[in-house]
Amino acid sequence: MAKDGKHYEYSVNQVPPVGHLLVLSFQHVLLLFVSLAFPILFAAQLNETTEFAATLLAFSMIAAGFGSIIQALRLPFIGSGYLCPNVVGPSYFSLSLSAAWAGGIPLMRGMIIVAGLAEMALAPVIEKLKKLFPTYIVGLVMLMIGISIIKPAIASFFGLAFRDDAIKGIDIFVGMFSLFVMVLANVWGKGFVKMYCLLIGMLAGWILALIILPEYWYSLAVVKDYPLFALPVIGPQFSGIKFDFGMILTVSIVAIIGSLKSFGNLLVAQKISEPELTETNFVPIRNGLMADGFSTLLAGLMGGMAVDTSSSNIGVAGATKVVSRWICVCAGVIFLALAFFPKVLTILTMIPKPVLGGALIFAGSFMVCSGLEEMFSEAWNSRKTFVVGISLFFGLSTGFLPGLYARTPDFIQTLFTDPLSTTTIIAIILNQIFNFDIMIENLKNRAGLARARTGI
Amino acid sequence: MLILKQWRLMIAFPAFLLMMAILISGCKIQYEDLNLTMYQYRDTKNLVKFVYDASLILKKDGLKSLDYFRNNRARFRTPEYYLYIYDIKGTNIFHAGMEHLEGKNLWDVTDKNGKKAVQFIVAALEDRNNPHAWVHYSWWEPGKFYPVPKSSCHFKVRTPEGEELFVGGGIDYPHEEKEFIRIIVDDAAQLIERKGWKALDDISNPVSKYNYRDVRVFAFHQDGELLISPAVADTIFQTNLLDCTDEVGHKPFAKAIKELESQDRVWEVFIAKNRYKREPIKKSLYIRKTMIDGSAIYFAAITDLPEPPY
Repeated sequence: MAKDGKHYEYSVNQVPPVGHLLVLSFQHVLLLFVSLAFPILFAAQLNETTEFAATLLAFSMIAAGFGSIIQALRLPFIGSGYLCPNVVGPSYFSLSLSAAWAGGIPLMRGMIIVAGLAEMALAPVIEKLKKLFPTYIVGLVMLMIGISIIKPAIASFFGLAFRDDAIKGIDIFVGMFSLFVMVLANVWGKGFVKMYCLLIGMLAGWILALIILPEYWYSLAVVKDYPLFALPVIGPQFSGIKFDFGMILTVSIVAIIGSLKSFGNLLVAQKISEPELTETNFVPIRNGLMADGFSTLLAGLMGGMAVDTSSSNIGVAGATKVVSRWICVCAGVIFLALAFFPKVLTILTMIPKPVLGGALIFAGSFMVCSGLEEMFSEAWNSRKTFVVGISLFFGLSTGFLPGLYARTPDFIQTLFTDPLSTTTIIAIILNQIFNFDIMIENLKNRAGLARARTGI
Repeated sequence: MLILKQWRLMIAFPAFLLMMAILISGCKIQYEDLNLTMYQYRDTKNLVKFVYDASLILKKDGLKSLDYFRNNRARFRTPEYYLYIYDIKGTNIFHAGMEHLEGKNLWDVTDKNGKKAVQFIVAALEDRNNPHAWVHYSWWEPGKFYPVPKSSCHFKVRTPEGEELFVGGGIDYPHEEKEFIRIIVDDAAQLIERKGWKALDDISNPVSKYNYRDVRVFAFHQDGELLISPAVADTIFQTNLLDCTDEVGHKPFAKAIKELESQDRVWEVFIAKNRYKREPIKKSLYIRKTMIDGSAIYFAAITDLPEPPY
């Protein structure tokens, strides 16, 4: 362990031994299961059959698995080469539903393809925007990535399946126990215990839930009805691809927001994988965004739901000091393979929600603190105070007061979408405005130097 | 040594999964004789289990169990719901939330909209479409003074002494379950099959069970012409349902009619506006086809769909 980097158990290019590689990958796969609720909920909201849900789930997992592999392999022009796996993205959930209602799965596929292409087209542009992201804004984006996990983390921690439904005290206990074990293993554990802290915490929470909550135990009974191996059944709903030009603007906006989120995730992945870099290297980030767009495109072509980079897995990588990209490749292969094993898949989808919530809080804590650390790593001044303060006020307000924004004019609704993208966009704009005098001064100095050089 | 540790890991995990699989294969579902799969919300399932458990006590111990209920009143009154027991003529025998009702007959008591809740319950207990005898009405919380919407479920019990009673419990501000509209639409279809066109008056009556909260059973012909409006108590505002579109241009009725060529019931989803939410909300439409005088009549109702937790 830690052969080529004293801070890591396994550094970004290091290949862990087979046993560790498998278990570490499994640890990440368990966290990816949080997102599998989306295809299941999607099928339920369309009143579709269990067979449809299983096929949608399988296609989504295959796309996410491929995406994770491509993301980590670092191929020419595509893939960041970081541990940054794909999940079935919540970013596109609402849009996918709208498309599916309006034109069935063919239109959903068409719109996801457009989103993937839009993300791929945006990737090269990001590289040109490096001046917009000074260190403290990168830190702010990292902080907001952590904050964006709050909603799924807390909803899962309290065991919620639907908004406003009943909460059981015992669920909270299971979540707290699971989180406590993870933190305990991470803070006081050494070697394997520290490295597998998430897995240990999740298994401990799961076993506790099975012992004290009969509900979880009984729900596992349905596993008996699923085959061990099955190929996805491609029903008539999955044939054809349709496009609707009226939806393209909406799709593009969602794709920009999705790209911003992935941009933030890739920034964090770079910070934890290559802390020796003194400034952001935008090449792997561009390639990572290209991979993210390609995975979404692939999901659309196959008939799965759009995919997204996973913030929580990056958090776990940082917290466990295991950042090997080969774990991402292996996790991708396992995730992809699980799509063909319904029995195992069903068992794993029954990990109690509070346990998953605990895992997300664990991962999110790391993201939040890494962001704060990055943000305050350089000298602070009043300009930065107002850039960060104002953007946080408005950005977080979209999460605290969503109803308020429902009544605002359309252009505000377009800009003020969710905490991550709103904070990022406002911070970039304010950073330019509040540093306008310095920019002018720099331009004058450059012009003066140029005149001095030319003797005019 | 390192290789040995890796192999241990490789064996330990499949072993754990195998152990889980073996244990699971022996699992049995609790409440095997109580089907709760039609409900989406945990709140609803908890209420049905709560009432069902009480009905088993009454069924087993008979009238003696009333002392047990009365001595453990707090156990049968939670912040979410409370239990009550009536005889089949509408006399309250036990009420965990409103003790002063015990001994009183509520057969003719109406809610603020004129609904006779107890009469609805007794009818629901005989309704095969409504296995848990759901009734929706307006009531008030114990000790409070304002009306609250309520949905209650009930189980009929014949005690060892031969008394016919029913046990019930309701939830304030209930979630809108899809099952609730399935019951009333199927009932409406059966009523017209039984009573003919006259049934339309009963179904459109605002104080009938076919209308509660924002839910209303409506009816239309195959060409989309309204028999009972989904929105108002009159058909003066004629609109062709087949031409109606939702917020994304989807035509739920036109699609449903096509699907109903090969089946007699269908669920559709459509998107509606909600001024307090940024994104449109999803609603569910249940349509049931029935034949009367050789022509197809469609009954339908609309309800909200559960929203994702985040």
